[in-house]
Amino acid sequence: MSQSWNPYAVLPGGQRRRLGLGGVAFVLVLWWALSASGWISPNKLPSPVAVLKAFGYLAWHDGKSMLLDATLWSAARVAMAGVLVVAVGVPLGILMGASARLNALLSPLIDPFRSAPVVALLPILVMWLGIGEVMKVTFLFLGAVVYLVPMVRDAIQAVPQSHWIGARDLGATPWECIRHAVVPIAMPRIADGIIVSVSVMWTYITVAEYVNAEIGLGQLIQNARRFSAMDQVFAGIAVIIALALITYQAMRAFKRRMYPWETQA
Amino acid sequence: MSAPTPPTDATRAAPAAAAAATVAPAKIVLDRIVQEFPRPEGGVNRIIDELSLEFTAPSINMLLGPSGCGKSTLLYMMGGVRPQNTVMPTSGTIMIDGAPCDDAHDDSVMVFQRYANRPDLSVYDNVGFPFRLKLWRDRIPKGERHDKIMHMLDAVGLAEKAKLRPSQLSGGQNQRIALARALVLKPRILLMDEPFGALDAQTREGMQRLLVELHREHPCLIVFVTHDVTEALLLGDRVVVLSTQPARVADDFEIRTPKPRDGGWLRMPEAVALEQRILSRLHQTSGRGNVRVTV
Repeated sequence: MSQSWNPYAVLPGGQRRRLGLGGVAFVLVLWWALSASGWISPNKLPSPVAVLKAFGYLAWHDGKSMLLDATLWSAARVAMAGVLVVAVGVPLGILMGASARLNALLSPLIDPFRSAPVVALLPILVMWLGIGEVMKVTFLFLGAVVYLVPMVRDAIQAVPQSHWIGARDLGATPWECIRHAVVPIAMPRIADGIIVSVSVMWTYITVAEYVNAEIGLGQLIQNARRFSAMDQVFAGIAVIIALALITYQAMRAFKRRMYPWETQA
Repeated sequence: MSAPTPPTDATRAAPAAAAAATVAPAKIVLDRIVQEFPRPEGGVNRIIDELSLEFTAPSINMLLGPSGCGKSTLLYMMGGVRPQNTVMPTSGTIMIDGAPCDDAHDDSVMVFQRYANRPDLSVYDNVGFPFRLKLWRDRIPKGERHDKIMHMLDAVGLAEKAKLRPSQLSGGQNQRIALARALVLKPRILLMDEPFGALDAQTREGMQRLLVELHREHPCLIVFVTHDVTEALLLGDRVVVLSTQPARVADDFEIRTPKPRDGGWLRMPEAVALEQRILSRLHQTSGRGNVRVTV
């Protein structure tokens, strides 16, 4: 039992995977048992088999794949917004982290939105930007950038001052200190921020596609709900979760490759 | 400006090869330095009181005092970097070669206790880090940089580790990187802030020997802050003992015994007497804080 209550214990990979799969399997079994028991109507809780069938139907029906089309559209929106979030959020966060004045000026405009409901802005965005792609990408962008900017700023401020002083002493200009001594050391944490913001975008995609999406995973779920096709709703949600997970793991792996020195500390 | 100043600008413009062969002498003059920091509850703490000192090259000058006595603050003043957002010094002047020192300047390079190596760069690139800065890119031609870096890596014994990253090296080796990075610029003044304070005793001894060797090769002006009496005796051409709260000069003497000095010399009557002298001075001033003796 001493190993169970030790926050620093490292499990062997095999055991970790077995436990993780066990947890998922347990929920699947519970789900299957509940739906098979007949206590809950299939309209509210479809069986795992029905969801699987719905998945198959969405994946290939009538010579086309609704699921693939929807996934590509949603992924494209996330990617588009993701590029914008990084292009704006990283430089802005670095500037705010580097300048106490700029931070004092901008943080009251950005920080509250981490806890405020960005979703509530959707009607305003619709009024301003219409119901097309611009609105959807802008919504995803806003939802994620308010997370990324403070995280980048915090990453900059977390770099020990000794690095700044050391570079300053060597004759670096303030900007050279930031560029050569501070930002490189903050990069792994900035990458963490990017990973979190992309994950946030996957959680917002259904909301973004709620309004007038002709195609997309959010639209697919919304449509299925309208026709009370609960099995398709479940399948759609599962696909979004899987995509978010794949994106997350891929970005994590990429980050470890980019900054191998971070884990060696 | 009346002090006999070596022509700083000429040194700056001089080709690196010439600078490597002969180091222009440097002189630091501290004149009635006062440093006060505001107390959180109001009022001020005077940590340095009317302190005047002069350092001239080539020599290793040990600033010895209890922890927290303000000796690092003095060093930062000489380096021209200001870690806090306070005015440093509160009053008094610091002149380097006759010119007032009130901002970061390029006569000196500092070495800190907590090494500031870039974790993402190789040992080689860490030593060559200054060449990423415009100041040194302009001064040292591209063709000379590699040789300078390799020479320093050899000098500190890291030539074989050039491609590794700092995290793959020990604490002592990380301080060697810091030393190499400082000396690759052939500074006229080297300011060292307890550089070996975080190392274990054996590594520290090795680093002290290395510093003596490097100083022989490049006889610049070193001001070395320490709270380690033994270290002061082993390295110092001159030892300045500081009292604490506020810091004043409690003692100031030269040690002419040739270097390297070893553990054997530390047990000789001369060294024992000096050690007693330092400890009794520190007791007289009866400040708080600790010094270390490692014999």
